[in-house]
Amino acid sequence: MYRAKTLVILLALVLLVPVAALAVNTGSADFTNYVSAGDSLTAGFQSASLIDLSQKHSYPSIIDFQATAGAGDFEQPLVSPPGIPGILQLHGLFPTVILPSPGQGSPENLNLPRLYNNLAVPGETVHSMITVSSDVPGTGHPGLHDLILRGFGTQLAEVIGAKPTFVTLWIGNNDALGAATTGNLAILTPLASFQADYTTIVGAIATMTHAKMALANIPNVTSIPFVTTIPPILVDPKTNQPVIFNGGTVPLIGPKGLLGPGDHVLLSAGADLAKGLGIPRPIGTGLPLPASDVLLAADAATIDARVAQFNGVIQATAQQVGAAYVDVNALLKQLASTGIEVGGIPFSASFLTGGVFSYDGVHPTRFGYAFVANAFIDAINAQFGAEIPEGDLSGAIFGTSAGSPEAARGGFDSEDAAAASAAQPLVWTRYLFTAEAMRNLASILAEPQGGRHHRPH
Amino acid sequence: MRRRGALISRALGIAALAVLAALAAAPLRPAFAAGFSISEQSAKATGMADAVAAQSDDPAVIYYNPGGMAFFDKAAGSVGATYITFTKADFHGANPFPGEGVTATEQKLHAFPPHAYWVQPITPELKLGIGFETPFGLQTRWQNPDSFSGRFLSTLASIKDIDVNPTVAWQVTPEFGIGAGFIARFSEVQLERDVPAVDPFTLTTVNAARIKLKSKYDRGYGFDVGFLNKPTPWFSWGGSYRSKMTVNYTGDAILFPRSSGDPIFDMFLAHALPYNTSIPVKTQIKFPDEALFGVAVKPMPDLTVEVDGNHWGWSTLQNVPITFPGGQLPNSNIVQRWKDSWAVRAGLNWTAAPAWQLRLGYVWDQTPQPEQVVNPLLPDANRNGVTAGIGFRGNPIDLDLGVMYLFFADRTRAKTFADDPQGPFFGTYSTRALLISLTVGFHQ
Repeated sequence: MYRAKTLVILLALVLLVPVAALAVNTGSADFTNYVSAGDSLTAGFQSASLIDLSQKHSYPSIIDFQATAGAGDFEQPLVSPPGIPGILQLHGLFPTVILPSPGQGSPENLNLPRLYNNLAVPGETVHSMITVSSDVPGTGHPGLHDLILRGFGTQLAEVIGAKPTFVTLWIGNNDALGAATTGNLAILTPLASFQADYTTIVGAIATMTHAKMALANIPNVTSIPFVTTIPPILVDPKTNQPVIFNGGTVPLIGPKGLLGPGDHVLLSAGADLAKGLGIPRPIGTGLPLPASDVLLAADAATIDARVAQFNGVIQATAQQVGAAYVDVNALLKQLASTGIEVGGIPFSASFLTGGVFSYDGVHPTRFGYAFVANAFIDAINAQFGAEIPEGDLSGAIFGTSAGSPEAARGGFDSEDAAAASAAQPLVWTRYLFTAEAMRNLASILAEPQGGRHHRPH
Repeated sequence: MRRRGALISRALGIAALAVLAALAAAPLRPAFAAGFSISEQSAKATGMADAVAAQSDDPAVIYYNPGGMAFFDKAAGSVGATYITFTKADFHGANPFPGEGVTATEQKLHAFPPHAYWVQPITPELKLGIGFETPFGLQTRWQNPDSFSGRFLSTLASIKDIDVNPTVAWQVTPEFGIGAGFIARFSEVQLERDVPAVDPFTLTTVNAARIKLKSKYDRGYGFDVGFLNKPTPWFSWGGSYRSKMTVNYTGDAILFPRSSGDPIFDMFLAHALPYNTSIPVKTQIKFPDEALFGVAVKPMPDLTVEVDGNHWGWSTLQNVPITFPGGQLPNSNIVQRWKDSWAVRAGLNWTAAPAWQLRLGYVWDQTPQPEQVVNPLLPDANRNGVTAGIGFRGNPIDLDLGVMYLFFADRTRAKTFADDPQGPFFGTYSTRALLISLTVGFHQ
């Protein structure tokens, strides 16, 4: 009996040694049961799709891998290719044609006999996180609550029900950016209700789970290519320089008249611009762009001011509960202004060529998500005295991307591109979204409650 | 075609940005004294770890201390070279980039920087001399440049330098001499790296081009001064100062095609980038000044022991601007932010027999490079060196051999900085170097 005990102890020691060698110093944070909550950005949404190729590289999955040295059992509601909805793909640059992949993926682990670790639901707001547990029938929305939450409760309820030891929360993006991507300020969440919902969420997690947390803030709308790519002035596509007429630039026409220097033409305006809307005669039709294509400077300022207020709430809440505060806003501001470099490779917030944002102009690429993951890890290390190593960016920089499977790509001089070019003889085809692409984008950006509101997350 | 213009402009902008980053970063790499200086300008000095500023028995005084030339009473000259090679030059990567498990090795180095001197007494007090020296130089060429994960920073960095150093010295008293020299520096810079771009069809980073930049031999001017005092037969002390110098380089940059792995994107790039065209380029290196101070004693008539300290003004190297006067590519600036540094040297020379001298030495050399800018272009490190040498004193021919082995401290880039000029390229550089100097001397 004594020998058997000794043997067991010895075996245990032998087994423990390699475990100890691999152990990551997570400080006062405990990643035994890590749960991530949020919206599409946390779900790993990319190029307007929830798809396993991207989900497997979501920032929460990277955090879990780094914090557990790959020993974690981090489960996500994976969706097979081509994703839900079908992922956007670039079919040609001249003109720029972005189309959704045909068909739709299906859930891969819908019957997982426990709650997912990544409970983030695309389209979620602070309010829907505590009120919506399933999709509303008849809205035409693909229904991602049902796929992710599976009827066990609201996202908040499931986060608590998962009994997490650590929680990351990045929520509120849709409360601000939805208004930006539709030019509709009416759907901007009021500060008071944001504050009430946000503190409810964090307070509930803190008191009912005692999990340590990391809370991320919300980026300014002027940081994302969906808002910043198309200038409010006429540009000569031959030179990419502004058209100069009578010594000045030529402003585009918005719903309230000529656009000013601080006004933004949204990425989704490509199709309308291609029809000549917003472009003065005789080059264009002289008709204004619809309001949904434009984010006026004053509206952008209003939204950014609200974002600043939201971020104030997030930061104050983080301090109150002793959570790590992840300043994603600062990160994206840097990307949008100076860009960043990694090992001599420049990255920026530019659409298509910046390497950070995917084809929907809102959600990050694999690299973008990996970079965000490292920002979380840095903040967690600082707050909890941890030494979690940052994730390896090489795979995200050089590896395969979910966004554009080789087979789906159109050619430089392909018939498709030629046909599209013939169909759109106007100069404004720099970023042409087809009708299908727009429908796809609109559907995935829609509010859970329906309506024609474009929601970015 | 009209739509292509916008993309071409965009792609060119991206490529150019990357080009800039590489160009600016690339000119320097630790050679054999910290930074990219080469202090080994005489085989006798190499054997004593270059602790020779307080001595005057080698025509290389022109380099180490022109004040020592004042003590020459007969014509003398020497010519030689130093063979420099790495015995180890490895890199081991770390997260976040290029990642754990990534390794790289530099190509074997075989460099032969030469030196030559002549000292000609004109009067018992006045001495003239000329030196040809190579006080700076480097070459860092990484193996497997097509796949090296640092290829967007540098695959090759080379700098060559030859100083022409006419010198005059005056023996003020039998114990005290001063000297001064004019320096014309001829220098060439060569840089190579890959240019990255994001393939919009895959949203991943690919090779867009390889840029090779090579300057002409361009000139900079400076001076050196020194003094040597020998108050007693067993004690001497001296110091010298070599001024900072700026070399403005002109040359050509050429972009060569590199397959992105995507034939469609390659077609775009071929339209977007000015491949295979010489693009005029300018750059500038501000070489540091150097102050040397040495004390030599002879505890026994046959034994000389010297200790030197030298201060390098590497803070001159804050930026390396890369300018394309024709505007084909955007101008750039490579941030270096080097700091002044110190070295301490000790050497001894024992006259074992009338014609034979044996030497030993030790040097500690501080890197001027802050961690923030450690990357494959310039992975500099603190280093310790041990030396040995042997000299033959014939008539009229002298022969000297010196050997130095340099142990570089492992240099690790592991921190993130708020103002990081080129982003993280984390990992550890391990370097060892061997230097063998051979000098043939002549004296009347």
